[in-house]
This record gives sequence, C-alpha cells and structure tokens, in this order.
Amino acid sequence: MDIKSIQAQIESDLAAVHSQGQLEEFRLKYLSRKGALAQLTAAIPTLPQAERAKFGQEVNALKNNLASLIAEKEKSLGAGIKSGPEISDDIGMPGIAQELGRLHPITQTINEISSIFTRMGFCVADGPEIETEFNNFTGLNIPLEHPSRDAFDTFYLKDYEKLLLRSHTSPVQVRAMKGRLPPLAIVVPGRVYRPDAVDASHLFMFHQIEGFMVDANITFADLKGSLEIFAKAVFGDDIKMRFRPHFFPFTEPSAEVDISCIICKGAGCSVCGRKGWLEILGCGMIHPNVFKQVGINAQKYSGFAFGMGIERIAMLKYGINDIRLFFENDLRFLKQF
Amino acid sequence: MKVTYNWLKDFTDIKLSPEKLADKLTMAGLEVVSLEQKHGDFVFEIEITSNRPDWLSVTGIAREVAAITNSKIKIQRSKSQVKIKNLKTENLEIKIEDKKDCPLYTAKIIRGVKVGPSPEWLRSRLELVGCRSVNNIVDITNYVLFETGEPLHAFDLDKLSGSSIIARRARPGEKIVTIDGEVKQLSPDILVIADARKPAACAGIMGGKDTEVTEGTKNILLEAAVFNPILIRKARQALGLQSESAYRFERSVDASAVEPSSQLAADLIEKLSPGKTVLAKSAGTSKVVAKNIILDCARVARVLGVKIPAQKIKIILQALGFTVKAKSKSKFSVLTPSHRQDAALDVDLIEEIARIYGYELIPRTIPSIKPQAFSWGVLDAAALIKNILTGLGLNEAITYSLTERNLAKSLGSTENLQAVEIRNPLSREQEILRTSILPSLVKCASLNLNQKQEYVNLFEVARRFYASDKGPKEELCLGVLLCGRKSLSLEQGMVKDEAGLLHLKGIIENMLLRLGIKEFSFSPDGQSVRIEVAGKKAGAMFRLSRSALELFDIKNREVFVAELSLDNVIPVLNLKKKFTAPPKYPGITRDISLLLREELGIEDIFQALRSSGEPLLKELKVTDFYKGKQVPAGWRGLTISCIYRSDERTLTEAEVAPVHAKLNALLTGRFGATIR
Repeated sequence: MDIKSIQAQIESDLAAVHSQGQLEEFRLKYLSRKGALAQLTAAIPTLPQAERAKFGQEVNALKNNLASLIAEKEKSLGAGIKSGPEISDDIGMPGIAQELGRLHPITQTINEISSIFTRMGFCVADGPEIETEFNNFTGLNIPLEHPSRDAFDTFYLKDYEKLLLRSHTSPVQVRAMKGRLPPLAIVVPGRVYRPDAVDASHLFMFHQIEGFMVDANITFADLKGSLEIFAKAVFGDDIKMRFRPHFFPFTEPSAEVDISCIICKGAGCSVCGRKGWLEILGCGMIHPNVFKQVGINAQKYSGFAFGMGIERIAMLKYGINDIRLFFENDLRFLKQF
Repeated sequence: MKVTYNWLKDFTDIKLSPEKLADKLTMAGLEVVSLEQKHGDFVFEIEITSNRPDWLSVTGIAREVAAITNSKIKIQRSKSQVKIKNLKTENLEIKIEDKKDCPLYTAKIIRGVKVGPSPEWLRSRLELVGCRSVNNIVDITNYVLFETGEPLHAFDLDKLSGSSIIARRARPGEKIVTIDGEVKQLSPDILVIADARKPAACAGIMGGKDTEVTEGTKNILLEAAVFNPILIRKARQALGLQSESAYRFERSVDASAVEPSSQLAADLIEKLSPGKTVLAKSAGTSKVVAKNIILDCARVARVLGVKIPAQKIKIILQALGFTVKAKSKSKFSVLTPSHRQDAALDVDLIEEIARIYGYELIPRTIPSIKPQAFSWGVLDAAALIKNILTGLGLNEAITYSLTERNLAKSLGSTENLQAVEIRNPLSREQEILRTSILPSLVKCASLNLNQKQEYVNLFEVARRFYASDKGPKEELCLGVLLCGRKSLSLEQGMVKDEAGLLHLKGIIENMLLRLGIKEFSFSPDGQSVRIEVAGKKAGAMFRLSRSALELFDIKNREVFVAELSLDNVIPVLNLKKKFTAPPKYPGITRDISLLLREELGIEDIFQALRSSGEPLLKELKVTDFYKGKQVPAGWRGLTISCIYRSDERTLTEAEVAPVHAKLNALLTGRFGATIR
C-alpha cells in the first residue's frame, strides 16, 4: 500500500468524523495494534533495503501527523478531556448518591437570621429555658400586676415558687447586661413557652430571636438602619418597611415593624388581612428602668432591642399556613427544606 | 376599642377622609385593625396598648387626632357650669374603708327618672361601638364611659338599704348575684360597693342584680369613682369577669375626669328622662399630682438620631396636653396632664415627640459596632453537631419540651430522673417538662411510619429537664432514632440496608471523632449499650422492646434510639487540629479471611493483633462480615485487612511476610480461628 493513498484515505475518513465515537473508530482504524499504520510498519522488512529507511521515516511522519490530526479533531468536537457516556449508560436512570440530611426549617431560619446579624458584628448567645420571675418580668420593667402582663401568659413550675418557663428570649438581655459591660451586640435564638390554646397560628412552645445593642451612642435611627438590613436580607430588596409606634414595657420608644406583604406586594390579600402589611417584629430603645435593674448607667449608654417569632418568619418565607407542621416532623415536610 | 368618625368630629374638626385618618392613627401608634362603613358613619376598631388608658375614650382619641392633624380640640361638653344644689331632705353618707382601694368616690342622687328605651341617636352610637342598648339610664352611663373613658354605674336607689354607701372589702362568705345572673363568691381580696346590709356591686367590675336599674326604677344613685388598678385586676381575675369598666379601671382612670363625667351623665339623664339631680356628694380626692419632667432637647436627638427643633418639640407636647416651660435654651420643664399618669421619664416624652413627629421621618443609619468575637453558651457546638449529623444523612426534628407524664415514662429511664411539673398546664400534653427527648422522637417515627415511610432517621438537639436537690436542672441532649430500611441504589442494583445498633454506633462514633474526642466507648449494659465519653457515662443506645413499640402503635418494625448528654460531650470536645503528614512510603495490604466463634469480641482480637503486629502493622479494618448458611452455626465469617507500612522505607514482601504469619498464627492459636 502506498503512503499517498493512505494519506488520501485518512483525509476523507477524518472529514466524515462527527462524534467522539467516530473519532475513536478512526483512531483504531489507523493507530491500533492492527491498524493501518501498524500494517505499514510491519511491511517494512519486506521492502528492498534501500527503500526501508525512507519508508520508515514517511510512516513515522504520517503517524505523528495523524496524532495531531486526531487531537485537533477532538478539540473541534469540543470534548478535549471529556469522554462521553457509553451507549449502554441510560443517563435517565436515578443518580446514585447518599441522601442529604437536612436541618429543621426552624434551625435554618435561625441560622439565616443569626448570620445576617453576625455579619453586622453581633455575637450569638444562649440562655436557660427555666427562668426566674425577675429575669422574665421584673428585670425587664414588666410589673407583676399590670395589664401589660396579659401579653405574657406564662407557664410556672409546680414545686418552685418563682421559677417559670421563659415566655420570651428577653431574659437573656438581663443576663447578658449583668454579665458584661457595653459595648454589647448580641442575638439570642431559642425556645419560649406560653400557655396559648393551640391552633394554626398559636402553640404553647415556639422560637424567638432576640437582638440588642448597647453602646455610648446608639440611636433609634441605628435601630431602623440595622433592621432594614435584616428585613431586606431575609425578604428581598424590593420590600417596603414601616415602623409603627407601639408599647413594650422594656423599650421606650417602642415600635412594631411591618413589611409590605410579600404575597400581594401591598395590594391586600388574605395573608396580610387585606392590609398590605405584615407585622414581623417588635423593637425599641432599651428602657432606662431595664438599664437600672442591670446596673448600666442610662445617662452614659443607650441601646436598642428587637425580638421576633421564628415560626412567623419561616411561615412567611416558605408560605407555610399551619404552625403545627413544624413540630410534627413529617419527613415529607422536613425534606422540603 | 371602637370609635366612630362622627363621634370624633364632635370633638375636633377632621378634614381627612376616614381611610387617611385610619392610616395616620396607625402610624401614630393607635393601630386601626378595621375600618367599616356603617349606618352613615365609619367605625374604627383600634388596638389600644395597655400603657395608654387615656386612649380608651372618644375624647382621648380626639385629642390624639387633633395633635396629629394640627387642629384644635373643641370644648368638652362634660364641663357643666351648673352647680348642683343639694336638697336638705336628701341624706347620703359615703364611707371609704381604705383610701388606697378607692381614692375617690362620687355619688349623685337623681329622682323621678323614667326608665325606657333610648332615643335613636344614642342607641345607634352605642351599637356602632359594639355596645348593646339596655335602657336609657344604663345607655347613658355607657355612652359617657365610651366618650370620656370614665366608667359609671347607676344603682336603683330604692333597692339600696339604708342611707350610706360603703366602699369596702368583701367579708368572708359574702356572695353577690351579678347583673349577668351569675352567683359570685366574694373574698376579702375583692372590693365591693355595699349598702348598709350587703354588697351591691363588685367595685369597678360589675353591678349586682338586686340593685340594677329596671323598668320600674324611679330614683337612681349614679356612681363615678376611682379604684386601685391592681385590686380591680386581681378581683376581675379571681371572679373570672371582664367588663368595659374593669378594663379601664385596671389600666387606671383620670381622677380629674370623674366629676365632669358624672355631671355629663346627670345632664343627659335630666335631658332624656324627666329626672332631677337632688344630691351630689363625694369622698376622697380628685387631685392628680402632675409630674415635672426635665427634657433636654440634646437627649431627644441622642435617643432618636435626628435633631428635632426645640420649638417643634414644644408644639408637639403642648398638643398632647403637656404644659411646657423653657428652663434653658435647650431644656424644658414639662408638666404631665392628669390623663397622662403613664408618663414619668424623659424617654416617655421622647416617644411622644417621635410618634407625632413621625417614626417614618427618622433616618436609617448604621451603628458602628466594636466587634466582639465571643460566643456564649453552647450554640456553636450545637450547630457543629447538627451539621455533622445532617452530613451523615440524618434529618433534624424539633419536638415539644412539654409532654404528658405517661409518655415521658413510656420508655423507662435508665437514670430514673424526677420530672419537673408545670403548675398551670392547659392540657395533659403540658403536664411536665420531659426528662428525655426519646419518647417524642419515637412519636415522630410512628407518625412517619404511618405515612408509609420506609426509612426514618431523625435526630434532635434539645434540652431535657429534671428535678435535683439544687432545683430544676436543664441538660442539653442529643437524641437519635433510626428505623426501617434505607434503599441504596448502587451499580449492582438496589441494596436494602436495615438499620441497627451498629448504624447508631457509627453515627455517634463519627460525630465524636469529628468533635476531636478520641476517648469514648460502647459497652453492653443490661438491655442497652452504655456510651462513655472521656471516662464518664454520657448516654445509652438501645432497641425498643415490643411493648414499647406497641405503646407508640408501631408494628412489624424495629426502632433503635440513642440519647447522649451533650453537657458531657461539649466540655471535652477539642477542635484544635494538628496536621500529620500523610505517609511518605506506600503500605502493603494483606487480607485475612477467617471463621471465628461468635462469642469472641472483635475489639479484644484487634487489640491482640495490634500489639503483636507492631511496629509495621499500622491499621486494621473489618472489610467483610457474614453469618448464615456458608458458615457453621455458632461461627461468623470475617475478612480483616492488615495494612503494613514503615515511615523510613518502602516495605518489601519479605519484611511483611513474617509479621503477617505471626498474626495468622495468633488468630488460629489464641483465638481458635479457622483461616479460609
């Protein structure tokens, strides 16, 4: 066989190659152990002595040329290092992997909120669930016999006079401020308990996250700015926010924060009660009486505090309509998050 | 609290539409939760916060409307000019047992009234604010209550015995039938208004049936008073009663509004029913001591983060009824009006200024924080543990800390912990704080099995609680539950992996190792496996017995659970990592397949092999494990991989062979294994 006709054959064969598979066939045809070039090499000894060297060089040149032609073709086929699926692979079959374990949506929501605040410089703290009446009420400027207590129905322990299950995460404020000097910037997630009748939006146990900042010059404007960062990070940049005056015994001035309804964008729907606004948290400037109880000089320091229900945030975020779902732990529910 | 647009207009000019007004009120802290057009008027339902009893009246809200819309408050009708001439023939004595219980009591005697239906305008206004019309006299007292915020009560004078009216504590054993027809047992914790013989009303809460105004009533005694808020609150709770009166008294009423309100009611009665006020008497004081608050405008700016001009501050406070005097260029001396007993500190005034100025006009700024990278409590460790467990494919559950006693006991308790009980549970599910996480996890498993889940793998990190000598204790725990078959789709097809104790062990081992804890052990302990961490018992794992499963309605399934006290784990965790270079020289792996008698523990065998294989033997692994038909009864088949390696050179076959032969000999000799 002469080199020229092989060269011509190579060119026409290569032009017909349009896939990795065909290229592989092409490679085998010429370069495999029994391929065309191997046959040429094998034929060398049968040639007259004088032609052998020249013929050998030509075969070698052809071989090198072929290798670069194949590499080029491979590149033009866009594969490079990739080797496509075998014909026998059905890529429609289910993938093989260990199933992911998942954090509870409440934990995920806590993590998300905590991390927004830690990125702003807050620390995360923790406190006990069994609390004293002082830390839960008195230290927070909630008088024992006042209608403001109505908002804080509380489980008491049977054999321990002044102990209760914390009805909010705010007692950790009292603990933290007693334990450390300002500056303080802390968020506190955790379980809280209230003897509420159970329905789609009330439970006797739920989660809150509390945050507070105390330093020499903390203002209500700082509170507004910090919470705006939070709300936009959780609910999106396009939400509107408003601060409404409200009353909490432990803050003055106090506010409730609404965001424009994330379902109807403010037009009014059943989720927001046709108001266009969703209440998401309570906040305010820490009351001087709270500072007094924990021994912080209210003339020197000021601070803000805020608190919100995790379940409420998660329900809004994920569109969950029944709070009880969080605690049934149905895997069909948990695996959605 | 409901008010109507037209009623408000009696007291101030309103140019805003009802919708605009609702919005303004909401943004000033009087949240309008509904606005309804009804009978030619608009009804606002407003949520009034518990610190603002002055807003529990039409006049109070009108004052607010005037302040936020920059208009004037009209002269209040309640300021009657006529002084009542007490008739000599009338005789009434007011006795107050304790001024602390009842700082002020006023009474008017109105004779010759004709009880009948109220005129249309009165009925309709009351009905708009959600108050049922009873008769003209009762309606007038209610009307004045809604308009001025001062609760009034009318007694049928002729049904009162004697000529004295007494504000006193109820005596033990006394009873009263209240207007709602209920018999109420009274106690000395309850203040009553009594005649010479017996209680005629639960003071400030509800009148008595015996002395109520009825169709035949001719003469009335009109009460207007001030009662101790705490006393009324406690009595109201003890009696299980709620009323418009009590709602206002427990939030405290404006003493200076008592007499004008009473006068307003008397005027209306004279006008709408042919009665005549013949006697007006009072005991106690209507004086309210004004508080003097020093307000520094610089502090207003420091708290709010915005500079509001001093003049603006003054205008706002005056519109709300405060008396403002300049003390210096930027300081005011502010006197509280009688209806603002809630205001005591400068921050209370600052809130008022901010409210009227508009929260929305306060800028948004970012505080500069001095970052503190400390972490309190166990949250970081708990988060790490949760991440490790989800990495192992487990799903996190969150269950209630409160539970019923029986459920808590259902799995028994190796520690026999004493539960902490709840004093005021609403239901059986809230009787106690749980002493273990496991029963609630098993309950979740039961629910999931009912939903036809093939494989349930849950964990929870939460506290358990128990009573101790030093009071109630809470302890952070980890509960893990495995149940069912995990389907693994592998190259060789679907493989079913049946959960067991070794799976639990694997999970806990992996977790502890990742936490940098090397000292831990698992050992049989009765029906369960004891888990020790750093030489101390940290928990247990076990398979649920058939009877336990029955309690949870789980059939034909095995459930495996583990509970670990994280309070025993977290203190010994060690996240400081030290790098060790990977081995420089390749190792040589030699497998031994053998048959071993079942009762021999693998840990003992490994220990013997390790010491015998030193120093070249670096690692031992069980790579295969089987029981069943291929092996004789009482035996099990094992494949052990031995990895030999040197840190100085590449080992040769010749070096490894004698060591490996020694291990083989040890297995056949000391442990009676058959090498296959």
